Amino acid sequence: MLLQVLVSGFVIGCVYGLIALGYSLIYKASGMMNFAQGDVLTLGAFLGYTFYTLFGLPYYVALALTVLVAFVFGLFMEKFIIRKLISKNVMAIYVVLATIAVSYILQNTIQAIWSTKMLNYPQVFPVASVSIFGVSVQSQSIFCILVSFLCMAGLQVFMKYTRFGTAMRASAMNAKAAQACGINTSLSTGITWAIAAGMAALAGILLGPIYGVFIMLGSTIGRKGFAGAIMGGYGNLYGAILGGVLLGLIETLTASYLSSTYKDMIAYALLLIFLFVKPTGIFNERAITE
Amino acid sequence: MKSVVKGFKPSKLAIAAVLLLLPALFSAIGFSYGVLVSCFASLYIIAVSGLDIDFGYCGQISMGHAAFFAIGAYGSVMLHKYLQLPILATMLIASVLATIIGAVIAYPASKLVFHFLSLATIAFGEIVYTLLLNSPGGVTGNAVGLFTDSINLFGFKINTYSRFYYFGLVCVGIFLLAKHLMVNSRVGRAWLAIRENSYAANGMGINVTKYKVMAFAVSAFYTGFAGAMYAHLVRYIGPDTFTQKQSVMFVTMMLFGGTGSILGPFTGAVLVLMITESLRAFEQYQMLIYGFLLLMVVVALPGGIYGETKRLIGRIAAKRKGGKAHAS
Repeated sequence: MLLQVLVSGFVIGCVYGLIALGYSLIYKASGMMNFAQGDVLTLGAFLGYTFYTLFGLPYYVALALTVLVAFVFGLFMEKFIIRKLISKNVMAIYVVLATIAVSYILQNTIQAIWSTKMLNYPQVFPVASVSIFGVSVQSQSIFCILVSFLCMAGLQVFMKYTRFGTAMRASAMNAKAAQACGINTSLSTGITWAIAAGMAALAGILLGPIYGVFIMLGSTIGRKGFAGAIMGGYGNLYGAILGGVLLGLIETLTASYLSSTYKDMIAYALLLIFLFVKPTGIFNERAITE
Repeated sequence: MKSVVKGFKPSKLAIAAVLLLLPALFSAIGFSYGVLVSCFASLYIIAVSGLDIDFGYCGQISMGHAAFFAIGAYGSVMLHKYLQLPILATMLIASVLATIIGAVIAYPASKLVFHFLSLATIAFGEIVYTLLLNSPGGVTGNAVGLFTDSINLFGFKINTYSRFYYFGLVCVGIFLLAKHLMVNSRVGRAWLAIRENSYAANGMGINVTKYKVMAFAVSAFYTGFAGAMYAHLVRYIGPDTFTQKQSVMFVTMMLFGGTGSILGPFTGAVLVLMITESLRAFEQYQMLIYGFLLLMVVVALPGGIYGETKRLIGRIAAKRKGGKAHAS
């Protein structure tokens, strides 16, 4: 029982981690907040379903294609909406509202293209479940955890050891100075939004076979992902992963051992407690208060 | 008060006449649905004006005002249902309750900057929504909701839409006058100073936390009262009315009209309500319409309809003046 609970806690925790990582990346790079992240997750789940079941592509190809589409979506969103607003010098809240508007549009468009019905993936892996210490665990869950961790580790390596990652970190730290060093800061900000969208879509296609695919799949996860990001320290890349996984574990453990009535409240309560008591989070990221 | 008397013009008299005769006009053209929409407009004007005190004057965003709307609505209905208090009293008590809860939330939240304030208020809104849906002992009726009575004004029942319209009109008058007096007082000037630059305001000896909490609490009172009005107009409340979407709608209305003024939120609430009502046929695409509306405001009309119109008129007037000066 405990192992199964832990596995499902890890699955949703990894998803929160991927979403929170996107939030932190965007915040680091442009000081903005993206409320469309959750609906990109939904988009990812629906796109993955379409590529995999309707077009009959192999799961890995469907996965790569979905991430690519979301990547382009993130790039466009930054270029045609967010950049426009920032160059107009509007208040930060307008950018936040613009992303909320995008999330509404996205949600309704998904509903118009697909339907409000819940869709179910057929079995992706030939073996439905594997047995670990005598407990059977869904193979999709293990795949989800593995790929999430690979993606998170890959991102850290990319940010730390590649030329482009270094450029991105530089422009996040001080855009003007980075520009003076010849870094294309507008490209790096765009790529940041694109990576965040790509990760959200990846989370969607990984989660789809486990939770099923429906319109509201992402919106709650997107909002709860903020709790993960805040807990770790908003803007801290390690913190986002840790916060996300912790949130998933806490939520699942309390739901299965204490009470599931207030399951949805735990994330928001944690968010408020951290914001009010320790806004810098576990990793003590200093970016958050005035 | 002086400016209210001074601004007495025939055009204002005409507006007042239209406002007073609106239900009669609507029924004359056989459009009685318009009366109901006007009733909704009155309560939205109050809610959005309250939000504007918080955002437009003091510069603090709230993306969770649906929570105060809910506290006002559920508070009033439950006080009436379980304690049998008269409805007008329950509306006021519930609004005071919303004010207190608002102050309690605003105190720790006052040190957060924009993004994180919006996150905190969203989280608060979600917590209130979850509590409505899973209340201990089912006192809120959970997913089913609660039915209630119409307002009883010392024996005079406000049980038709026309009667509610006049009740709403009086409420809007009182609340907007109160807002006018508040923002033109010492407190209002402190709010403006905080909005422009909280460090400078602090340096001038303004207690930033105190005034921020005050603005948030006052706006919670406005929105709470609007929620109570909603409950006794519709005579049924359910949790679905008080989701995050409602909070975003308040913000949209406020920004659509224009912030930091008396007439901006008024215009915004009425226009957004008219747009959503006239697009009722496309209910399926309501979110899409909303999204585009919000995006349009944010991208194209950062000052809101009222703010931009005022600016345009000001520019034309300045040009004319400039032209005259040139000619002479």
